[in-house]
Amino acid sequence: MTDIRYLAPRTLDEAVGAFAASQGAARILAGGTDLLVQMRNGAVRPGTIIDIKKITELTSIEEAADGGFRIGAAVSGAALAEHPRFGRVWPGVLEAVNLIGSTQVQGRASPGGNLCNASPAGDSVPALVAAGAVVTVQGPKGRRQVAVEAVPAGPGRTNLGPGEIVVSFTLPPRPEGSGDAYLRMTPRTEMDIAVVGVGVSLTLRDGVVAAARVGLGAVAPTVLLVADAARALIGSRLDEAAVHAAAAACRAACNPIDDKRGTIAYRTRVAGVLLQRAVAIAAERAGRV
Amino acid sequence: MTKFGIAQPVRRVEDPRLLKGNGAYTDDITLPGTAHGVVLRSPHAAAKLLSIETAAAKAVPGVLAVYTGADLKADGIGDLPCAVTLKNRDGSDQFSPPRPTLAVDAVHHVGTPVAFIVAETTQAARDAAEAVMVEYDILPSITDLATAMDPGAPQVWAGAPRNVCFDWEVGQKDKVEELFAKAAHVTRLTVVNNRIVVSSIEARAAQAEYDSATGRWTLRTNTQGGWGIKEMMGNNIFNVPPDRFRVITPDVGGGFGMKLFLYAEQVLACYAARKLGRPVKWTSERSEAFLSDSAGRDNITLGEIALDKDGKLLALRTRNVANMGGYLSNFAPYIPTMAGTGVLASVYGFQAVYANVIGVFTNTVPVDAYRGAGRPESNYLVERLIDAAAREIGMDRVELRRRNMVTPDAMPYTSPMGKKYDSGDFRIVLDAALKKVDWAGFEARRAAAAKRGRRRGIGLAYYLEATGGAPTERAEIRFAEDGFVDVYVGTQSTGQGHETAYVQLTVDQLGVPGEKVRVKQGDTDSIPVGGGTGGARSLYSEGQAILVTAGTVIEKGRKAASETLEAAPADIVFEAGRFSIAGTDRGVDIIALAAAQRARAAKGEDVTTLDAAEIANIDAHTFPNGCHIAEVEIDPETGTLELVRYSVTDDVGKAVNPMIVRGQVHGGVAQGFGQAVLERTAYDPESGQLLSGSFMDYTMPRADDLPSIDVDFIEVPCRSNPLGVKGAGEAGAVGSPPAVVNAIVDALSPLGITHVDMPATPERLWQAVATARAA
Repeated sequence: MTDIRYLAPRTLDEAVGAFAASQGAARILAGGTDLLVQMRNGAVRPGTIIDIKKITELTSIEEAADGGFRIGAAVSGAALAEHPRFGRVWPGVLEAVNLIGSTQVQGRASPGGNLCNASPAGDSVPALVAAGAVVTVQGPKGRRQVAVEAVPAGPGRTNLGPGEIVVSFTLPPRPEGSGDAYLRMTPRTEMDIAVVGVGVSLTLRDGVVAAARVGLGAVAPTVLLVADAARALIGSRLDEAAVHAAAAACRAACNPIDDKRGTIAYRTRVAGVLLQRAVAIAAERAGRV
Repeated sequence: MTKFGIAQPVRRVEDPRLLKGNGAYTDDITLPGTAHGVVLRSPHAAAKLLSIETAAAKAVPGVLAVYTGADLKADGIGDLPCAVTLKNRDGSDQFSPPRPTLAVDAVHHVGTPVAFIVAETTQAARDAAEAVMVEYDILPSITDLATAMDPGAPQVWAGAPRNVCFDWEVGQKDKVEELFAKAAHVTRLTVVNNRIVVSSIEARAAQAEYDSATGRWTLRTNTQGGWGIKEMMGNNIFNVPPDRFRVITPDVGGGFGMKLFLYAEQVLACYAARKLGRPVKWTSERSEAFLSDSAGRDNITLGEIALDKDGKLLALRTRNVANMGGYLSNFAPYIPTMAGTGVLASVYGFQAVYANVIGVFTNTVPVDAYRGAGRPESNYLVERLIDAAAREIGMDRVELRRRNMVTPDAMPYTSPMGKKYDSGDFRIVLDAALKKVDWAGFEARRAAAAKRGRRRGIGLAYYLEATGGAPTERAEIRFAEDGFVDVYVGTQSTGQGHETAYVQLTVDQLGVPGEKVRVKQGDTDSIPVGGGTGGARSLYSEGQAILVTAGTVIEKGRKAASETLEAAPADIVFEAGRFSIAGTDRGVDIIALAAAQRARAAKGEDVTTLDAAEIANIDAHTFPNGCHIAEVEIDPETGTLELVRYSVTDDVGKAVNPMIVRGQVHGGVAQGFGQAVLERTAYDPESGQLLSGSFMDYTMPRADDLPSIDVDFIEVPCRSNPLGVKGAGEAGAVGSPPAVVNAIVDALSPLGITHVDMPATPERLWQAVATARAA
């Protein structure tokens, strides 16, 4: 057994400093619902744990004057659910975040942790991709902003640089006529891993899709932004042909694995089905009659 | 009617204790000076054990000992026994491989115990386990039952060609052939009865201490009856008289058959306690439970039924391939053979039945009894076959069943499998079940679901269970110093509510207040013999023992009262807990009488006390039966399934406590639904690793997977015991898998689908739909 240093800095600068100084031997602790399990399994043995939950910027939710949201990376699913406005503006993102784990896990697990864990099946990520969320990252070289879909590099790996910490997610202002949805397919309803997850965000003007984004999880080494699916939807009135074309684009984007949870054929097929259903829910939320 | 009377839905008296955390399970008990054991297990499915190097492990601070199979052999420790030896069809004996407590020269499944490390703390033992160096010669493994008998499949045991443990048969082979030859129709179906990981909430545990002065062990361990453990420890393992073992079973959190057996870790705790002169404790982790608790089911069965032109069932023929695992657990060969085939004729008037059962070794966790133990498998096969036959011959599935049911006027009825059914009114139960769910109105519900894009189906299963177990049971009634009536029983509750049901029976017999009755169980020193709990035997077996013992108490009380009241014994009447002189108001309360007699006896007076112990012969077992009806809705685009309605109509004879019976049936239905839809045990075909080795990967049923389950009773009293009761503990798990799968097939049958194997996961259902649509 080796000793583990535990740090709980109050400022981001301290956290980044300690993280960079550890030269890879430290791990960031948000809710700990992945990290502590990995440590218990012996999968990771960090020399230092840096708890970021004492840093206000990482645990707060702010609604900007323009209607955009900034969510701290360590905000728990439960805290997000309790926010009076967030779930009304981004019901799909909230649904996705709240699908991470059980009620108990919801009190701890955060979207930042879900993103950095870099599981292809992370539930919040496809919805955040669909939402067009931008991630603020801070590291030894300062702050930068990056699209959420650019963070995961592969199963368990991210594109974050040495010493970089995910600070927050920024979700853009929502125009009138917008709606989002997240659906996933698992062998059951909770505490299991998605075999397919689909996030859809739409903005409708006079019944025509003015903007659309589609995020797809669990069917490739990373969560995907499916631009072809969005293109199929934009400009349409969500007629059958457009939705089928979007579903086909989702299926084409799939590059899943065969495992005991689901075969390639099943995951691919269901990705299209979930896309169609998520589009229908998002459209209804966008106010389409 | 008193609060604790028979047939009252008395709330379980054990629940406040257990729910408030005041129960004491094996792991809750830590004796002073306890050392902690950890089992090092084989990471390979099949390997030769070349060497074990323990020096580094022994050097880890806090480590007291590291034991290997060689150490146990050197100390003369016997192998874990299999109590059953079947005769093959050719008259030879089954192949019975050795099962050392710790592997000696080979391992036969991932999880085989290889070394036992004992240390001051569990953590130190775990650290030391990592320091044990084991050299393996890894061999090809076979975990797939379907191909285990193929030529060229890896051999689990050199002495078992084609991995066959036994090839056993029962039934009227020639008559069956005759009936098949003249049948108007034959239906054939192969079904998979999937392997189940039992997953009791409380993991297995053992804590042993050894008294060198007396040469006796005290083993605290969660069992379904400590007496069998005691016998095997003495006779098979340590070669000492079994009475050198005191086995104490504390509170138990679920057994389902799995905790009936003797396990390596119980032996290891006893062995180490003697070697070290300290109490030694071992508690399973969940991941260990997946690799070491006996598993359930795991059969592939071909069933064939012959029908005449009027839809009369003539004969049934089966060929069942049953997975034994890498070693033989205590009763493993018995489960698919004697236990399972006994109910193959079920409630139907087959003229003849023949069963061939082939036990097969694979490099998997050993299989043994699991809730129902063979009877769920047989019922599943028969109820699936009858649905399939009905579809094939174009007869209504209810009508086909009704037409073939054994009628009450035939009772007692001896089935072609030699089982004597004492009672049963199957058509009455069937009709009540159909009426309750509006079976006739189902097509409207199917159509309504179709409008929502869902395929709805309804399925029924009529099950017949044959309870079983030890042929005697003991009860002892003692009037304690503190005014309580203690009832010592030879069964063992693992959560069934025995502490309540036995109180009800005692109150009914002795007329004492229920609050004054305590049930005592689980100590082989204070209870010399016991049959334990398994095979749904407890209520009718222990119930009869309580009845006989209470009769002796009353006879002794009558004699005592005649002495006290100075009247002839014949003039003493016993009613409502009071002995009195007939026709007078002179009398004495039974508890007061017992206390007075005990006080006089303590002073040396020669008086009759009321305490009594009796052993009852359990001459006949019982045949609970009933009708389960399931309604499911399937999303054909994703294959997800919802169980939308579940209804049970049971004949469990007289229900002593209907609330407890309902709880038992609910739990059984949930387990059966889990098997039918969720629980998939997956091994990697290359490495033999258990892929579904945690609750992340092995899908247990949860409350939100199930609808509210209605359970109603039609009481057809059992005629083979004076209580009129039939064992209800397993029944829910017997009826539910076929009811659920029949509903699934009904939902998909418009697509031409005629069978779906368990577990009917979303992927499997989606695949079935996709294949049918492509055809």
